[in-house]
Amino acid sequence: MKETSNKYLISALLLGLAFHGSAIFFTLETTYDALIHLFFADHYANSWFEPWNYEWYTGFTVQSYPPLVHQSIGLLSLIGGLKFGMFSVALIAIVLFITGTYRFSLMMTGNKTVAGYASLLAVFSSSFVETLHIFGQLPSIIGVSVLMHALPEIYLWLKTGRKWYLATSLSLIAVTVTSHHVTPIFGMIFFIFPLIGMVIMDVSREQVSSIKDVTFKLFLNSFFKLFKRIVSFGMLSLVLIIGCIFPYWLNSKANPITQVPIPHGSRDNFLEITSSGLVFFLIPWGILLVLLPYIFYRYYSKRYLFFGLSVTICTILGTGGTTPIPLKMLGETAFNILTLDRFTLWASILSIPLLGEFAYRFVEGDLKTLIQKKFGAVYHRITGGLLAGLVVFMVVFTMSLNYFRPSQPQKIKMLPIVNFLNQDDHDKWRFLTLGFGDQMAWLSAQTNALTVDGNYHSARRLPELTTRPIERLENSKFKGVAGIGSLQQFLTTPEKYNLKYIFSNDKFYDPILYFCGWQRLRQLENGIMVWERLNIPPVSSILPKEDVATWLKIMWGVIPFLTVLVAFVLNIQMLWVNMLKTRVKPLPDFLKYSVSYTKFNRHVLRVTHIWSLFLAIVVFYGVYVFYLKNDSQRSPENAIIAYYDALDFKEFEKAHSLIDPQSKLPIAQYMLEISVTDGLLSSYAKMDAIKTEITKHNDSTVSAKVTSQWITPLEKIEKVDYKTLSKRNKKWYLQPDELNNDLPPDQLYSANATKYFNQGRRRITTEQTHHEDILKQPVLEVVSAKLVQYNGHYAIIGEVQNIDNVPADVILKGTLYNDANKQLATYNAKYHMKHKLMPKELSSFRINFEGIAWSKTQDSIPDTFNPDEFTPVEFEEQPTKFNLQAAGNVSGSDLYKSVVLSAMNIKDETISGNLFNSGIQEITIPQLLISYYDEHKNMLWVDHLFVKAGIRQQRKQDFKYEILNHGKVKIINEDMSNIFVNGLPNDAIAGKIVPNRIENHSETQLQKIDHPDFSYIKIEINTYIGNPN
Amino acid sequence: MPNKFTYLFLLGLILLSSFAVKQQNEEYNIKLITPQTQYEVGNPISLKFSTSNSDKPLLYCSNSFGSTLISGVLNSNTLEYTLPEHITKKIGVVNWILTDKTTSIKGSFNIKPKAEVATMETYIGPPSIEAGETDYTMLVVIPTDSLDNPVPTNTLVTEKHQFLDSEDTNAIYTNNLIAFRNIYSKKESGRMLVSSESLGINSKEFTINVAAAIPTDFTISAIRPHDYADGNQVTTFSTSIIKDKQNNVVSDGTFVTFYITNKNQNILKTTGTTIDGIAQAKIIHPDYEDTWRIKAYVDGMSESDNITLTYKQVIEDFDVLFSNKNRTITVGPLQSFMGQMIPDGLHVTLNIYRDHVLIDSIIKTSFNGYVNFNLKPAMYQNGAYNFSIETAGKTKKINTKTLW
Repeated sequence: MKETSNKYLISALLLGLAFHGSAIFFTLETTYDALIHLFFADHYANSWFEPWNYEWYTGFTVQSYPPLVHQSIGLLSLIGGLKFGMFSVALIAIVLFITGTYRFSLMMTGNKTVAGYASLLAVFSSSFVETLHIFGQLPSIIGVSVLMHALPEIYLWLKTGRKWYLATSLSLIAVTVTSHHVTPIFGMIFFIFPLIGMVIMDVSREQVSSIKDVTFKLFLNSFFKLFKRIVSFGMLSLVLIIGCIFPYWLNSKANPITQVPIPHGSRDNFLEITSSGLVFFLIPWGILLVLLPYIFYRYYSKRYLFFGLSVTICTILGTGGTTPIPLKMLGETAFNILTLDRFTLWASILSIPLLGEFAYRFVEGDLKTLIQKKFGAVYHRITGGLLAGLVVFMVVFTMSLNYFRPSQPQKIKMLPIVNFLNQDDHDKWRFLTLGFGDQMAWLSAQTNALTVDGNYHSARRLPELTTRPIERLENSKFKGVAGIGSLQQFLTTPEKYNLKYIFSNDKFYDPILYFCGWQRLRQLENGIMVWERLNIPPVSSILPKEDVATWLKIMWGVIPFLTVLVAFVLNIQMLWVNMLKTRVKPLPDFLKYSVSYTKFNRHVLRVTHIWSLFLAIVVFYGVYVFYLKNDSQRSPENAIIAYYDALDFKEFEKAHSLIDPQSKLPIAQYMLEISVTDGLLSSYAKMDAIKTEITKHNDSTVSAKVTSQWITPLEKIEKVDYKTLSKRNKKWYLQPDELNNDLPPDQLYSANATKYFNQGRRRITTEQTHHEDILKQPVLEVVSAKLVQYNGHYAIIGEVQNIDNVPADVILKGTLYNDANKQLATYNAKYHMKHKLMPKELSSFRINFEGIAWSKTQDSIPDTFNPDEFTPVEFEEQPTKFNLQAAGNVSGSDLYKSVVLSAMNIKDETISGNLFNSGIQEITIPQLLISYYDEHKNMLWVDHLFVKAGIRQQRKQDFKYEILNHGKVKIINEDMSNIFVNGLPNDAIAGKIVPNRIENHSETQLQKIDHPDFSYIKIEINTYIGNPN
Repeated sequence: MPNKFTYLFLLGLILLSSFAVKQQNEEYNIKLITPQTQYEVGNPISLKFSTSNSDKPLLYCSNSFGSTLISGVLNSNTLEYTLPEHITKKIGVVNWILTDKTTSIKGSFNIKPKAEVATMETYIGPPSIEAGETDYTMLVVIPTDSLDNPVPTNTLVTEKHQFLDSEDTNAIYTNNLIAFRNIYSKKESGRMLVSSESLGINSKEFTINVAAAIPTDFTISAIRPHDYADGNQVTTFSTSIIKDKQNNVVSDGTFVTFYITNKNQNILKTTGTTIDGIAQAKIIHPDYEDTWRIKAYVDGMSESDNITLTYKQVIEDFDVLFSNKNRTITVGPLQSFMGQMIPDGLHVTLNIYRDHVLIDSIIKTSFNGYVNFNLKPAMYQNGAYNFSIETAGKTKKINTKTLW
């Protein structure tokens, strides 16, 4: 018998390569994972055998992920660069997937035409499109494709018992293992177990005349007959799964994933969070959703029974948090580690053979006959068109998802950053990126500089990261308070991580950087702002690493490619035979079990119809609900939510369209009003939640109390607005807010100020800075400092003054000790101080001791410092002493001081007043530092207030501050002997410059307040200028 | 148990050594014939020994930089060892040992520095000090010869510095390889240029900034366009030229805080930084009659005198008009001191009471001299209300108005 080429398979290959092969160049780089794999590939390209990588997370081992795909990209990168390697591997993945589905389908159906149909449809399978073009999971695709290639070989081994097939199947399993670790483990359960069942079925079938005669007893008999082969295959593949990536398992055991789980969309309730439902359920299922009755009907036929079970389990697990079943089936731990979307992926891949079968029967088989007979040819054509249209729609929709809802920020040109890191030894410090998305991996691949962050969260090591559900610091704004909190720790104590440079692609983080004591260096030509922090030591030249045995390193570097080589050698013979048709090969066994498609089951057709109708109704109902929810003017609540959403996303035109047209507010005026508002709330806040309370109601007017929660880089803000809405032509509109009419006194005015510039190196040289170019560190004086306890919080408070003649950047580091001089905690002053001080300027400060700072609680660190930690039993752990290190460095930036406290009014527990901006810069975020004093004018506490709105030049801004609740401040220690300035004792150095300090000098200028615990306050003002000009 | 074997081995050795036989020794007579023990650095050095046999033992030689073995040349019963340059180029003591099969002789010689200077390493710091004759910077000079050896102790180094119109030179001498001097500031602030010289070689120029010391007390003054409390003009405070106790103007950027105590005993504040000793700070006028007592501080160091400013009330009275079913309240005209409309932005607060309970408080800013409050029926149901209107420190109460 002469074998003919399978036209469908060839067209599928050509089509797949043309379609996916050209599309990857526009999609792959913006996917979630592709750049991470690129980074790993870069690691292998540079040090093939050394698994330790210093660049991320203060060091991690690449033995935490199977290496084959990374090593392949790394090897190919030696020819044409990393991206060449990545695209080449992606092309290989596409070919492997299409041929894999063909072979899998051929094995399942035993019909070459059906398998051809299946491979053709696999090209447009929306789950494959999504995995490749949206997620970029190359190892997962290669793993599952090679697994599909392995299935026919496993079948033949079990069926025929020829050792050759055992060798080929095991060789392919080995390749699967080295490319993706999860695939073979679950592949065993969901692909190979049902396959074994099917083989046993087939063997039993051979003993009787028809499949109907296969009884359980017969099945059991066949099972025992095949038992040896099954067990030998199972044991050997287990050996391979463990052996091929042995270092991986060893590493998993040594560094178990003990992290707080990171939320993943696939674990959401898809009905509640529809976006997750779309991405992790609707898209991967796609057209298969319509065919579900057919798929289940076929898979629950006797031969496929075990595949039926497997598909069912995968389907259920893939529903994530929609039902409680997956959580119960997997258990808490597995549920929180696994991303459940892969179950849907496997379910869809398991369904591909049947999709092909259905298509075949629909296009040229018995289904066509049935439909034409029952409903006529036109109906057949229309349904065909609908189904084909649905397939095309799903593909186009999936491919364009990234276009409409980009998962990544705009592509960033990395060259300026790479150049910056390379010049002037900047790579001797660690860096951090903010707002780069997964592109941070691409930056890391291009530079040798180290970062504290990383993009492979399973490898996180710092407790600051593992104790919080954030995958990267980089995108911490999307992780709410936990994310910002974690970021703040890194920003407040960067010297711990040698973190000196931050590349910010997101203005959102600017305020927290400023208030944590960072300063802007410059904007690179790609628009990225570089921030730096002074007084950070460089990374030491010898870094710690967790070394592994040499044989593990060699194993890791050699085995993956060895498995590919072995698989290639073993399978190539068959490939040649297949391709060149050099000799007639016996037909593989599974071809004997093809079904003849003669009579399509009427009931299945009916159920499919009903099911399609049901799906259609669900879809239309979903669209209707979506419309009701999103029709912004149907109800006052909708109008308010739409308005706030529009403001949040800066869609001002849309916001304006919701303003009452009768108010005759032109869009130009509206935009002008918006453009002059600046500040924490209008420029740096992300809306977190919104609640509307319709307070008073008549038919056409409503007033609403809108309580909105905003996440800002500095704190969570609750804002309460009162809005009035009117109904016009059945649509609700908001009434515009009143304008502040404040007119500044002057049209044009001048201001003189002293400006500073630090040359750095005066000669252009790469040498170390000449000693005569090194400026003296400005002398600071810690005027007062004490350890206090208030409300359960321990803090060091006091005042620091720059007593030098140059402006200083001030960093304060406090350490707490107990009576036995045991160090308990170390932390820096965050935003309870002015970090930039002019000559002779004084700032109050407070050093908080937060979370990770508590060395005692290394195992389970609370989110914020928990005062109950100090129970009487642990009395010796009570902080009783402190040490304070002040470091000054000359800095000429952020020295804007032209802000005035121009009016004040104290009423009950509220201080209200006005700030006036007398200078020539617009103040983006004013901050008040409020110090509290007792009746003897002893300083007790320092508090802060971020004023939510900015202050334009020569304008006033009112503020309102609630005086702290009652509560006694306990002064624990006032001993100032352990205070050091630039490493020198505070008293000695201050005495040289200010020998006769006037103690408690401006004490007469403290504001009296009426409060049971505090008698006086002092207000200092710090300012953040967002856009200095 | 490796230790055990080591002990056993050592014990064995000791036992064996007791059987050792003293070897018959030939009379051996290698003698040093070079008498010189002082050399000048850089000159060639060779050691000569007289010997009776033809053995050529190696000379072990060590100085503070390291040790080496030198092979000798035998020439008619004279062994000559020429020391390599890396030893003769460094000053200091050189120890040598000559060991033959049986005996060894040893000795040492000294290499002395040259009295010449080729290069000078100079360090100075800190680069900025304070005027007042107490703060100082330290100059450290390390003159070295052409072989990079320190010059002999007590070599003269001349320290030179220029400050204002004086140029000084001072003689200092090297000791323990270096010469140093503390240069004290004078009473004046300014820039000091420092250099040094030794045996005809000059260092490069260094700059020391001498900054003013901490400020002393000063006076303040205020300038304002008018003395009305219109809330719309800027009063500027200035200090006199702030100087330190030596009469130097304090460095630019010195931070001065102006505290203002108003008639309600609330403390306002504004700040300024000095330029040429004068700090200026601005503040907006209050919008009601007020008396300010102002005092400025450089915290912990100096302060100013007190000055007092009075601001006159501009709005003595205003009208309140109810219209549109009493739901529109028009406040104004708000007129300033010449009868002109008050500039836009004056705060007007409307407090709304129902049954003598404050139910709402609305703050608006004036526009063209008027403020309109619209009380929407949806918010304020029909009924009797009391109102009070506050602006420019004046309050007006309106009792029992009925909204309908």
